[in-house]
Amino acid sequence: MTLEILAFALAALLMLGGAAVVALTKDLMRLVVGLGAFLLGVAGMFLYYGHAFLATAQVFVYVGGVLVLVVFAVMVVHRANGGRPLVTSQHDIGAAAVAFGVSGMLVMSLRESVGGWLPESGTSGSSIAQELLGGHLVAFELLGVLLLVALVAVLLIVGPGERR
Amino acid sequence: MTLLWGFLWGVAAVATIAGGAILGVWWERKVSARIQMRYGPQQIGPFGSLQMIADVPKLLFKEDIVPALADKAIFKYAPLFVFGPVAVSMVVIPFTAGWAPLNTSVGVLFFLAVPSIEVIAILLSAWASHNTLSTLGGLRATAQMISYEVPRSLAVLAIVLLAGSLRPLDVVAAWRWWWMPLTFVAFVIYFVASIAEMNRGPFDIPEAESELVAGYFADYSGMRWASFMMAEYGAMIAASLFGAALFFGGGWPFGGALGVITLIVKAILIMTAIMWVKWTFPRLRQDQLMSFCWKALTPLALVQLVVVGVVLVWL
Repeated sequence: MTLEILAFALAALLMLGGAAVVALTKDLMRLVVGLGAFLLGVAGMFLYYGHAFLATAQVFVYVGGVLVLVVFAVMVVHRANGGRPLVTSQHDIGAAAVAFGVSGMLVMSLRESVGGWLPESGTSGSSIAQELLGGHLVAFELLGVLLLVALVAVLLIVGPGERR
Repeated sequence: MTLLWGFLWGVAAVATIAGGAILGVWWERKVSARIQMRYGPQQIGPFGSLQMIADVPKLLFKEDIVPALADKAIFKYAPLFVFGPVAVSMVVIPFTAGWAPLNTSVGVLFFLAVPSIEVIAILLSAWASHNTLSTLGGLRATAQMISYEVPRSLAVLAIVLLAGSLRPLDVVAAWRWWWMPLTFVAFVIYFVASIAEMNRGPFDIPEAESELVAGYFADYSGMRWASFMMAEYGAMIAASLFGAALFFGGGWPFGGALGVITLIVKAILIMTAIMWVKWTFPRLRQDQLMSFCWKALTPLALVQLVVVGVVLVWL
C-alpha cells in the first residue's frame, strides 16, 4: 500500500514539477526537460491506474516522438553558436489568464462527458483496439485523415523555400 | 519487498551491461583483429582478456572536463539518461520459457518504447555541449534513430502477429521452428535497424570520427564518456538477447537453466554478426541512410507483415 502511494507521489511530483518548470523557466532546453518530466509523469499516472499499454504508448509517442520533434525544431532553427535560446514573454498576466481559462474549460467539459463514455476497464491493448477499431472506427480514421491533411499542408507551406 | 526486488533487478541490469560491455569490448577487439588479419590484445592475461581491467580504472580516474560554455546541469546528467533506458529495457527479456525479470502484458512494446527516451537524452547532451560538431551529430543521431524505429517495430510486429500477444513470455511459448524461415526477412530488418538504432558502423554517421570528431559526445570525457560507450554496448546486448528470444525462440530447444545458456549463446552469435558487419562495411552517407530506411527497409517490412498475415489466414 505504502509503495503504491510512493509511486503515485513520484508520478504526481514529476507532473507538477515538470509543469512548473515549463511555466516558469526561460531557457528553452530546460523547458524541454520539464516537458519530458511531465510526460513521463503522465505515463506513471497511467501505470498507477493499471493502463500499462497506454503508459507505454505515452512514452513511445510523446517522449520518443513529439518531444524529440520539439527539440529538433529548436536545434534546427537556432544556430549552435548563438547563445542559449530563451523564451521571451511580454504578456505574463494575460498568458496566465488564458492558461487558467483553458484548463478550467477542459476540466469542466471532461467532468461532464467522461462519466458514461470511457470504456469500462480498458486496461489491456486488445480492449482499446476493440474500442477504437469497433465502435469509434470512423472517428479514428477521420483523425488519421486530419493528420495527413495537416502534414500535406505543412509540406505545401514549407515547400517552395526548400526547392533546389 | 517489491521495491527491494526492483532495486536488486536494477543493480543486476547495470552490472550485466557493465560486465557485458567489458567482455564485449574485448570480444570486439578480437573479432576486428581477426577480420583485419591481426592478433588483437594478447599481452595482458590469457588472450589479452585482462586488458579491460586496466582500461576501466583509466576511465574512472580520467579528468571530468565540462566545457566552459556548456549548459552545466544538462551536460552533466544527460549521459545518465542515455544509459538508463537501455538498462531498463533489459528487464522484459524472456530469458527462458516461463521466466522474465518483469512479466508484463506489453513487454514487446515496452522494449521498443523505453529506449526512445535515450533519443531525447542524446539530443540534450549534444545541445548542452554548445559545440557545432556535437549539435550536428545529435541531429543526425536523432533523425536516424527515429526513422529506423519504424522498420524495427514493423519487423517485430510480424512475430507479434504470429504469436498473438505482446507478452514476451507468450511469444516464446507460442514460438514454432517454422517461424524462422517465415520471418527471416523480418529478422534481417530487425538486425539492420537495430544496428542503426545503436549508432554503430556502418551507420555511425552521427559520430563519424573523420568529420565530426565523435559527434554528440565529442566533448565528454572520463566516466561520462564511458556511459555513452556502455549505452552502445548495452543496446547491442539488449537487441541481441531480444532478437534471439523473439526470432529464434529464446531457449529453444531447451528449457530451464540450459535454455538461458542457449539464449545467451544465440545472442553472442548475433552480437558477433553485428561486429562483423561493422568491421566489413564502409560508412554510409546521410542521404543513402535515409533512403535505405524509407525506400527499402520500411516497404520490405510491410511486405513481410502481409506475408505473415496471409499465412495466418491460410493456417
